[in-house]
Amino acid sequence: MGIRVAERERRAIRMPTIVGLSVGLVGIVGVFLVRALTPALGPWSLPNRVQDLLTLSISVIIESLPFVVLGILLSILVQVWVPDRWIMRILPRNAFLRRVTISFLGVFLPVCECGNVPLARGLMVKGFTVSESMTFLLAAPIINPITILTTGQAFGFDSWVFAARLVGGFVIANLIGWLYAKHPDQDSLLTDRFAAECRLPDPHEHDQTRWQKSVELFTRESAVIMPALFIGSLIAGLVQVAVPRSVLLSLGSNPLWSILAMMALAFVISVCSNVDSFFILPFASTFMPGSIAVFLLFGPIIDIKMLTLMRTTFRAKVLVQLTVIVGLLSALIGLVVNYLA
Amino acid sequence: MPRFTRWQGIALCVAALVSTVWLAVTNQLILYIHPRYIVFTVIMAALGLVLVVASFRQAAAHTNEPANEHEREREHEHELEHEQPSSGRLRRGITVIGSMLTLVMAVALVVVPPTTLTTATAEQRVINSTQVGPGTRTVDSAASAPAGAYARFTVLDWSSLLRQTTDVGFYREKEANVVGFITRDKDDPKNVFYVSRFVITCCAVDAQPVGVPVYLPNWQDRFAADQWVKVSGSFETNPSTQSQQSIALVPTSTTKVDQPSEPYLY
Repeated sequence: MGIRVAERERRAIRMPTIVGLSVGLVGIVGVFLVRALTPALGPWSLPNRVQDLLTLSISVIIESLPFVVLGILLSILVQVWVPDRWIMRILPRNAFLRRVTISFLGVFLPVCECGNVPLARGLMVKGFTVSESMTFLLAAPIINPITILTTGQAFGFDSWVFAARLVGGFVIANLIGWLYAKHPDQDSLLTDRFAAECRLPDPHEHDQTRWQKSVELFTRESAVIMPALFIGSLIAGLVQVAVPRSVLLSLGSNPLWSILAMMALAFVISVCSNVDSFFILPFASTFMPGSIAVFLLFGPIIDIKMLTLMRTTFRAKVLVQLTVIVGLLSALIGLVVNYLA
Repeated sequence: MPRFTRWQGIALCVAALVSTVWLAVTNQLILYIHPRYIVFTVIMAALGLVLVVASFRQAAAHTNEPANEHEREREHEHELEHEQPSSGRLRRGITVIGSMLTLVMAVALVVVPPTTLTTATAEQRVINSTQVGPGTRTVDSAASAPAGAYARFTVLDWSSLLRQTTDVGFYREKEANVVGFITRDKDDPKNVFYVSRFVITCCAVDAQPVGVPVYLPNWQDRFAADQWVKVSGSFETNPSTQSQQSIALVPTSTTKVDQPSEPYLY
């Protein structure tokens, strides 16, 4: 009798698993077929602007997607597979030194900024304070091997732009970390939903294997990050179609306006920090070096796509503060470079 | 986590990952990203798809379970978050708009045929507005190139040279043979167009339009903007009085061609 009940229960568990797998596979094949068949339905002759809006937005999604997946995978690695003690043990106890060390974590976890959001969320769940994870979020896109290499290749390892980007990125990340560490209620910087996620343990934590936990985390993170990525890409595409580039280019040679123009360009273009040096290089002879440095400092931290992604975790008020502070600090660094170079 | 949110995340992953794989299989990923990122993108998409399949399995099992205490607590907090009298309705409104926008993008990813950027972006971003980048053709390297090499110079090569020197003598006996799409010249749209291409460094988002001015009176009688053409001819002082381009390609032949399989230049 007891054996039969146990067998029935086992079947009851196995059934949704099989159904889920089948639905998943059929769904994937179905989407693939739709994707493969629609081009044959003929040219859609959408107006050029609409077509370009879609091309630009889809381009942002496709360019960011592998980094987002990598970011989620690293987040899973940190949360599920790396023992709690490991990360906490290598970090110094002193808060200042801790943040300094955290700003170099990007050297080992070289994900560009969009992938860093799920990773930073994972680090917070793992025990980082909000200000520490902010330091990581702001420093890692700049202080990581790929960004260092591409910036050096583009501008030269002995250039002002290269030095300003690395030193500036480090200083901004640590200053922001220090500022928010002063906040008496760190949890209030987070969205209610994410704060609750950090406070409450996973409901299945004890009865799940590590693989199950990993899949659960992937589902949860993609539920949060993917809509933000889609919306951010669409807005970035919209702004790119709407704002004429000539407006920005006409401001290139003025020390102050060129800085603001480059900030605006970085905000709109939403391109990843790993490759932004090559994008901005052709502008280097039109724009002053300080403004190029501002593009490379401000862009990885604040742009349309990043703000939408960060909104999954931080309150809107915090993002406005971050934008203003990072804007002012990078403008200051840009002005200094314009003066010195 | 609310069930809708859970399934929405999985569905968006399917839309984005399947589209990426399909674009890679059909060699159209280059319409959106630089070829050097293709291998990385495909590997990550494949890993993502494996996790998506596993998510389906787990999410289905999860859907069948009764919500436990922790989940109820989470959902209750979530509800509280939405029940703030001052912002509840506004938040719900934003959520609905957000979901609609997400849906639009998902449908676009799966349904709309992929294409290159058009003249709308070329005009909006201003052709040849950036300076000559590294790795592009310099006057010295062009001057020392063997005679037959000029026929292989791309729109990017010629547009880089045109931004470096407007000495007509330099272009003498250098026949050009270029392929690109037509973008009208703003100053003399009747007689001059650009045979243009986009240059990308990372993805279509950073595409910069470059172009070679072509002097062909009444070109609009034979061609339309956005049409891909092959233009052969030589560079001369621009006969157009309205165009701001001092040198233009005066064609000996201009023919319609299909869009090349790699429409962007790098």
